[in-house]
Amino acid sequence: MTRASVVGASMTTFGVHETTLTELFAEAALGAFDDAGVGPDDVDALYFGNAMGGQTENDTHLAPKAASQVGLAGVPCQRYEDACATSSNAFKNAVEAVEAGVHDTVLVGGVERCTPETGLGTGEMTRIFASASDRYYEQPTGLTFPGVFALLTKRHMHEHGTTAEQLAHVAVKNHANGQLNPNAHFGKETTVADVLESPVIADPFHLMDCCPFSDGASAVLVTSDDRADSFDDPVDVQGVGHATDIVPLSAKAVPHATQAARDAASQAYEQAGASADEMDFAEVHDCFTGAEVMASEAIGFFEDGEGGPAAEEGRTRIDGDRPINPSGGLKAKGHPIGATGTGQIVELTEQLRGNVGERQVEGAERAVAHNLGGDAATTVVSVMGVRR
Amino acid sequence: MSLTHEAWADALRDGDLLGVACADCGATYGTPFAVCNDCGGRDVETTDLPTEGEVYTETTIQVPPVDFEGPYQVGMVQVGSARVTARLEGDGEAVEIGDRVVLDGVVESGGEPAPVFRTATDGE
Ligand SMILES: [Zn+2]
Repeated sequence: MTRASVVGASMTTFGVHETTLTELFAEAALGAFDDAGVGPDDVDALYFGNAMGGQTENDTHLAPKAASQVGLAGVPCQRYEDACATSSNAFKNAVEAVEAGVHDTVLVGGVERCTPETGLGTGEMTRIFASASDRYYEQPTGLTFPGVFALLTKRHMHEHGTTAEQLAHVAVKNHANGQLNPNAHFGKETTVADVLESPVIADPFHLMDCCPFSDGASAVLVTSDDRADSFDDPVDVQGVGHATDIVPLSAKAVPHATQAARDAASQAYEQAGASADEMDFAEVHDCFTGAEVMASEAIGFFEDGEGGPAAEEGRTRIDGDRPINPSGGLKAKGHPIGATGTGQIVELTEQLRGNVGERQVEGAERAVAHNLGGDAATTVVSVMGVRR
Repeated sequence: MSLTHEAWADALRDGDLLGVACADCGATYGTPFAVCNDCGGRDVETTDLPTEGEVYTETTIQVPPVDFEGPYQVGMVQVGSARVTARLEGDGEAVEIGDRVVLDGVVESGGEPAPVFRTATDGE
């Protein structure tokens, strides 16, 4: 079933940007306007994501600032913050708003700057990222976000025999895909040995198991099913699931199960009237290689414990039987926190239009995006499909 | 009033590990909650958790946030039917999943304590 449609999609390169947050957002938003063939008069609201601008750049109340930059001053604006799942939550709310008839056409997007362009070094940015973990029962231990996912991944390795080599295969694959994505922060030919020889950040993760600090923005235009046919190239939103899990990590029943992702995926597939087996590819939240393995199981692409072997066997490559992160994922495409969720929606839209050149998943008609925020506490899973 | 963070932290500094247990369903947590997340019950009572347990998962942080000096080991420790996130100290060796550890003081950061668990030695 179609809940809404994406009729315009655009993103900046993810990487290092000197422009301000609202200038960066405008680049993506104007790209989405042009892609859809609309102007500000055609847009009824802004659903905006930014996670950390208050901490990184002393910049808050950003939604109306972003709206003003793109000629939308006056429309209702709302800003979302859900750590790394920030803009997919904005997307969910936009889909619900057009589906309910609250608005006809909505601009949804996000922006973030995480590189030293903010004036902040690795230690400071690591601290700001860690603000998404529990303030009293995690932060005082010195736990970092590589550390959060290391804790989950170590237990996954213990339970299922997942290996460091299997994790490294995720990095090798996503870097290879990144080479094919002109918007990606990174992309190169690399090897399992290169990954395993890179410095350790938080075991089992080496530097090359980790996504980079990135700057960037992404934006999509969402309109109702009824209006979608008046646009050139709509792609349908068939389901959006959104679930949370208990914080802190220590209270989760099975932390490495990432239960919120399982719940959100079930909701999204049910809304779409489809199963995981009917998804032609997935964009998942691979902030760390272990996160991709856990996500690939949580969204039902593989049985529990099979995510690591599947990565090693090449099943998740673009030409594999279950492609994951053809964009390069967070690992290679980059991870500008508040822009990541709608960045995945941009990739789904472009892939389902058949517009992505060498990284095209052949014949893709349906796909799923998985965007995780905080210590596996928020996950939004979206299913999109070619419009019939 | 259910267990507060302040009471949890004060107890931890005194060497006691407090958690909460739901009087309705028996769920036990290593950190305070006002309401039971398993059953929704409000009759959530403060409970003493064991100060010895087993490492559930662990990692060594090589790239710390500002105000922390790395490397150091962080993990989750299973204490009875609850878990807590803690610093781990291994007497020269990294602590591994399944190792027995005992509560041995706190580390303080920004006025907040975190439990420190050390490898259990025979006789403890
Ligand atoms: Zn209960």
